[in-house]
Amino acid sequence: MRRRDTGEVLGTVAAFPAAFAFMLFMLVPVLIMVKVSLSGPEDIFTQHPPFLIHHATLDHWREIIAAGGIRAPFQRSLVVATGTTVLALLVAAPGAYVISRMPRKWRYPVLVSLFLTRMFPEVGIALAVAVNFIRWNMLDTDLGLILAHLIGALPFIAWILVGTFETIPVELEEAAKTDGCGRVAVLRRVILPLSLSGVAVACIFTWLWSWNEFTYALYLSLSRNTLPLETYYYLGRGSLFNAATYSTILTLPVFLVTFTLQKYLRSGYLTGAVKG
Amino acid sequence: MKRSGLVFLTIFLLLAVLGGILPVLGAQKKLTVLMALGEDEWKVMRAAILPPFEKEYGCRVEAYQVESSDAIRKLEAMAAAKKMEVDLITQDNMLLAQLVEKGLVEDLSEYRELIPETILKSLLPVGEFRGKLYFLPYRPNVEIAYYNETKFKKYGLQPPKNWDELLVVAKTFKEKEGIGRVAIKADLSSCTTVHLFDFIRQAGGDPMKLNDAGCVRAFTFLQQLWPYCSPDSKKANWNYMNRFLATDSVYLGWNWPFGVNVIVKDGKKEEIKAYAGWAGPVKASHVLGGEVIGIPVGSPHRALAVKFAEYLLSREVQEKLVSQMGWPACRSDAYGKVEKWQQPYFAAVNAALETAEPRPNVTYWADFEKIILKAFRLSVLEGQPVKATLDAAAAELAPLKK
Repeated sequence: MRRRDTGEVLGTVAAFPAAFAFMLFMLVPVLIMVKVSLSGPEDIFTQHPPFLIHHATLDHWREIIAAGGIRAPFQRSLVVATGTTVLALLVAAPGAYVISRMPRKWRYPVLVSLFLTRMFPEVGIALAVAVNFIRWNMLDTDLGLILAHLIGALPFIAWILVGTFETIPVELEEAAKTDGCGRVAVLRRVILPLSLSGVAVACIFTWLWSWNEFTYALYLSLSRNTLPLETYYYLGRGSLFNAATYSTILTLPVFLVTFTLQKYLRSGYLTGAVKG
Repeated sequence: MKRSGLVFLTIFLLLAVLGGILPVLGAQKKLTVLMALGEDEWKVMRAAILPPFEKEYGCRVEAYQVESSDAIRKLEAMAAAKKMEVDLITQDNMLLAQLVEKGLVEDLSEYRELIPETILKSLLPVGEFRGKLYFLPYRPNVEIAYYNETKFKKYGLQPPKNWDELLVVAKTFKEKEGIGRVAIKADLSSCTTVHLFDFIRQAGGDPMKLNDAGCVRAFTFLQQLWPYCSPDSKKANWNYMNRFLATDSVYLGWNWPFGVNVIVKDGKKEEIKAYAGWAGPVKASHVLGGEVIGIPVGSPHRALAVKFAEYLLSREVQEKLVSQMGWPACRSDAYGKVEKWQQPYFAAVNAALETAEPRPNVTYWADFEKIILKAFRLSVLEGQPVKATLDAAAAELAPLKK
């Protein structure tokens, strides 16, 4: 049996408490948010609030759902996030496939160049983007917001897909071509089915990013808020309970999507083209 | 055949012309308005304020919720795109300079006569920049002092009326509970600037000078008060102050009147009372906040927007805002009755309004705010000598004033 050195042992022993502390650090704010949304004022507006819920209530949820104000922002966020993901996939997949088949010395610079747009913070370019979109009558439209989200989503999804497509042997494509498939058919019938896991990962990240996106939504929305914008409103103007309930509703799809597709979240898919 | 063809063509042309005109005739005029309101306030606006105007002018008012800071960004984008979609905004009177500097709002000097004679005089300078009127008065607002009546009674204290009493209250709470319970907004944001204006003016100083006798006196007092203040003061702003008061973390603090809804109505903390606050060694003073009306450059329905502005300033609307929203009126002849539970808080707001003074409209406001907040941090929070710190701040400000 290999003898483990002291450093390795210490690392293993320290890993669990560190992971536990990190888990608490990430989870406790979420638990507090959910707790506030389900608690009566007696549990919250006190000098020493209890850790558990003593006066549970669904009043805050009932109030928000009965008011009906959440339906439209929720729907808009859902449409925009899903539209961004589908469109990003349709645009990025063929491009990522081509990049993945480039000679190695070209592949990395081309991939890095995709990220040049990501070097500019959204806050810095959102105004310029909004000016053009307003000129093109895209204020308050789902298409306008989807296109704005693609600015950030495309490089990222392309990066993940390049890494995914790279793992598929070229010989498989050649065999398919030998059987009579064209380039697009190879992509559709051979590459994509084999890379479903990587595609799922790219879709998760794109969807979540678009769902939570705030800056472009702020500039390109006037009468039709997205859910993050609506939550922002309640954080500033609403009661603590409304803010907590809206925040919880905003977070729920994130949990659902991540929980459902988490089996695809393997580190290999996230290294992109930076391999070997 | 030729004749029937001519008849047919005439009918066709008539239909085409009418088809073009009728949709235009049938189309309702639309007024797009940006406001920043709470949920209950929106209910009143949509149910009681907008419909009479819509009926009188045969138009549809599309009012959207947009915070004042966000309104600047949206107007900037629309103006740059040369496609202004907004006709009128109600804007926080502390965020006006940018709109004027960027040329986003119309000069409304020709509409001075819309301002009624009975308008609160302190509201008049707020909308003026370099002698031109860019904003019409609409809604005054002022901070009031919230206090926890139960805790004050417990230690036999009264809400402080002057600085000496304030210091005694702060020291008593610290001594009895081992932690400060009086909060000032020391989060080094614009909320702190408002507080500093209050204290400096209460000491007879001019905040824009930074190192006159009143400024030195105010900063010296704050330096004395600071060790007895609540540690929550460093996070206290217009939003968190309500939570600190509601959770009994703070027993005395100034905040805007919307806190009444958050703490008393939603939080059911009826022991949280309010009054106009304390005076300084020279006078009582509150920064005049609130909102004003502006019309963006390029507004698609400018004439209708002016009518709407006049409507919002009318006595009828101001009385509705008082009775249904609990807002103080901007004109002295507008009377309204608020709900019973709101009355003490409304009285506190009106008492505070009597000593309300607006902030000056200067183009170098952003730089000024950085300097005054830095002086506060160095002298009050870090304990550096007040006079030297303020002299340095004044020297830093001097070139900006030219």
